[in-house]
Amino acid sequence: MNLHLIVPEVLVLLGGLLAVTVSLVAPPARRAGLVPWVAGLALAAALVALLVGRPDGEALAGSHLSDAFSRFVRGLALAGGVLLVLLSSSYTRRLDRGHGEFYGLLLFALLGVMLVSAVTDLMGLFVSLELVTITSYVLAAFKRNDARSAEAGLKYLVVGAVSSAFLLFGCALVYGAAGTVEFATLSSHVAGKGFSPLLALGAGLVFCGLFFKAAAVPFQVWAPDVYQGAPAPVTAFLSSLSKSAGFVLLLRLVSILVVPAAGTPSGDAWIGFFGVVAALTLLYGNLGAMPQRDVKRLLAYSSIGHAGYMLLGVTVVVAAKSTALRIDGAAAVLVYLAAYYVTTLTAFAVVVAVSGQGRGHDAASAYAGLHRRSPLLAFAMLLALLSLAGVPPMAGLIGKFLVFFSLVGAAEARPGLYALGVVGALGVVLSLYYYLLLIREMYAKEPAADGPQGPLVVPLGARIAVFLGIFGLLALGIWWAGAFDAARAAATSLFAARS
Amino acid sequence: MNLPLVILLLPAFATLAIFAVPAGKPQVVKAIAFVATLAVLAVAILLAVTFETTDAPFETVRATGHVYKHVLSVPWVPALGLQLKLGVDGIGVAMVLLTALTIFTGVCVSFSVKERAKEFFLNLLALVTGVFGVFVSLDLFFYYFFYELAVIPMFLLIGCWGSTTKTMSRDYASMKLVLMLTTGAVFALLGLLAMYTKAGTFDMVRLEQLAATGTFSRAFQLAWFPPVFLGFAVLVPMWPLHSWSPGGHAAAPAAVSMLHAGVLMKIGAYGILRVAVTYMPAAAQVYLPWVAVLCCFNIVYGGMVAMAQKDMKFVVGYSSSSHMGYVLLGIATANVIGVQGAVYLMFAHGVMTALAFSLIGFFYEQTHTRMLDDLGGLMKRMPFVGTCFVIMSMASAGLPGFANFVSELLVIIGAWHAGMYVPAILATWGIVVTGVYLLRTVKAAFLGRMPARWEGLQDARTPFQKLPFVLLVSTLLLFGFWPAPLLSLIRQGVTPIVETLDKAAGRTAETGQR
Repeated sequence: MNLHLIVPEVLVLLGGLLAVTVSLVAPPARRAGLVPWVAGLALAAALVALLVGRPDGEALAGSHLSDAFSRFVRGLALAGGVLLVLLSSSYTRRLDRGHGEFYGLLLFALLGVMLVSAVTDLMGLFVSLELVTITSYVLAAFKRNDARSAEAGLKYLVVGAVSSAFLLFGCALVYGAAGTVEFATLSSHVAGKGFSPLLALGAGLVFCGLFFKAAAVPFQVWAPDVYQGAPAPVTAFLSSLSKSAGFVLLLRLVSILVVPAAGTPSGDAWIGFFGVVAALTLLYGNLGAMPQRDVKRLLAYSSIGHAGYMLLGVTVVVAAKSTALRIDGAAAVLVYLAAYYVTTLTAFAVVVAVSGQGRGHDAASAYAGLHRRSPLLAFAMLLALLSLAGVPPMAGLIGKFLVFFSLVGAAEARPGLYALGVVGALGVVLSLYYYLLLIREMYAKEPAADGPQGPLVVPLGARIAVFLGIFGLLALGIWWAGAFDAARAAATSLFAARS
Repeated sequence: MNLPLVILLLPAFATLAIFAVPAGKPQVVKAIAFVATLAVLAVAILLAVTFETTDAPFETVRATGHVYKHVLSVPWVPALGLQLKLGVDGIGVAMVLLTALTIFTGVCVSFSVKERAKEFFLNLLALVTGVFGVFVSLDLFFYYFFYELAVIPMFLLIGCWGSTTKTMSRDYASMKLVLMLTTGAVFALLGLLAMYTKAGTFDMVRLEQLAATGTFSRAFQLAWFPPVFLGFAVLVPMWPLHSWSPGGHAAAPAAVSMLHAGVLMKIGAYGILRVAVTYMPAAAQVYLPWVAVLCCFNIVYGGMVAMAQKDMKFVVGYSSSSHMGYVLLGIATANVIGVQGAVYLMFAHGVMTALAFSLIGFFYEQTHTRMLDDLGGLMKRMPFVGTCFVIMSMASAGLPGFANFVSELLVIIGAWHAGMYVPAILATWGIVVTGVYLLRTVKAAFLGRMPARWEGLQDARTPFQKLPFVLLVSTLLLFGFWPAPLLSLIRQGVTPIVETLDKAAGRTAETGQR
């Protein structure tokens, strides 16, 4: 069984169950303080177990693969989870019920992300992805008395159900065409026989299901409404961990389904598929974000834009002509993911803290003169926005740099990719515009006359989250050699010959 | 002790130190900024004076004999071969000296900033850290890194401390500046990455060696020269990509205009020389004649537009893009005389324009208007500032005795040698145009009847107020009367570039002429 390989997962599962239990037995006054501690400690313990144990091998009768790739993703998810719990704590303090459920669901969803990175067959893929998705439905509608939140949950449920249907139908077709759901066998099937129309259709449907998670065009329509309506910490979860589940699976599936057929006509057809989706996603996200005046909505559109950059990296993996270039592309996506995690969580730590002020709290005007009301929050948001825009010395620059790096590297043999490079470059400029608008709001404007004026109180949890976030942003932006090496090792294991 | 590293770290640490100063202590902030930039200036002068005799670690490009001194490399991302590599050649030294001079005088004139002084100086020093980084980097990744680092503080400085006039709001100007510069930068980045893909290194010394030995094919060069060149040309700014620049000058606070026109624009010309021309000489030979055509628009059109301006900062702003046309013309000549003149002009124009914006900033603080129609007769109340302004105008118009004269003469001679007769003639005429609009400005602002409301104006009286102006004026005069040392410094960096260009064109290196 090799249960020692899944110790981190078990710890997260126990943490989730414990969070629910504690909130049932603890005295009501202590709940709000106690439950985040339980969740945070469980995640920290799981992270330590992962880093110390460095699990490597297959567990649960071959259905759970612990390799460098899954370790990277799981580490990322756990580290992001710790930040997420910290920033949620200042939100859940304001709740009068449901602390256990909130953190329990959060941890189960996070468990889903961890499992996603280690799946070895399509069934595991579907089940672990649904673990993320179904918990997200509940979390998005968590403020059930708020019409916006309920709407967000419902919308997410409807669109999500359709995409789950896509995914499941795709899996069925793949099974029908290839006679197997196991990744290893699928991979050798594709390598030997290429894509039959049925298999191509099945794989395409599976990818579409993943595009939904990743919020890529044309499966992005849910994102702005859901991001805006859901509670801020849940939005943070959706735009970081939940989105990463999509990309992790895209990388895994591309490496087993598409890469073995690379060089054949049926394999190369996928370059156009991914390239077009990437370009449209980039343009849609960045153009859509420009007129937004609600910060959560703005971040929703910008997160679609970021999905576009990561899809550029995925396209490189599909289009590259050598394994070295593929590794570059996959490593770029992973570094981008890491940079995006820390950046977006820092931004949402600020959003959560600012949103404690009452109605209209997410409008960009609520950020006017933020530097006077809370220099710390304004500075953190400044760094986060600049990082999202890809400005040095922040983490975001490294992600963008590596994506462009791998893209130009692969474009030498496939000049068509330069067109994607141009779209990506335009995206940088467009995104800078709307991030700078918000920065101007914070630094060049005075607090709105009819809005709150006084200093903004930042709770301890949010404060720690902000400090950790700033540290992570700068560390990953300046000393990125370590993260890059880890991402390369992860990417290498993705393309290693599997038994 | 590696001097470029010191120059890079001094403003960086000053930025951190200012960050740590508690709010409400502007005097401490200003003292830190003053001391740090004075120290940088001292180190920069030391660097320049000892450059030819120093025995600091150096690296040579074998193919051309190009020497970079004070080389320091720290492995940064071994998997990609990235290193934090610092070092300078003659051109780099000249630019570092210019930057140090501009930021020191810029900090001096910014002592009057009252609002949010801490954040102002924080941004100013972050900006200059980036600028120094560009000039001392010998690795393309860090070159790009530092360049982008310099752009964003610019946005905040203009957006928060800038001025809004009827014709130009600071919001519009700052946004346009950042977006246009970033557009240029990302397209240039694609080109830099393409070079890495071909050459497998970001090390600029190595790239220069590889480029000289033909690693980049002619087709590659022809394809990638335009994006890289245009990416930097936005920054120069080359017509018709210049429209961010005058507005940016006009809206920015004095010290930022000084840095912006004095130094930031030179990064563009520096990038063109160091990257586009050096690494892609064959393509440069093909495209540079077109640049010579475009830069005539800079010179003549820029000058004509400057004539029509009513806002003094716009006059100087358009005059800057006119003068940068000479720099481009000098580069386009592709011979030692012209390119040397271009680099000398980068230095001279930087000092001159810093002087112009510091003077305008000085009386704008009291008058709160820069419109020529509102001013007049200021010489009566501010004889010192007025005199400096007249000196600046003379320098700008290329009168003998000023560094600008030396450089413009070299550029025009170089253009003539290169057979670019029409641009050379237009450039000569451009000097006349410059004279016209500057004399007109002097007349409107400093001579004639003074409106009664300016009776209360104060001249620069304390030595500290005069210091930046004196420093800049004397620099212009010093290098105008005694150009030899700076010229020989610049020639050290220029000759190898021209040699590469000559090789690409199949000419002999000795004559450097067609």
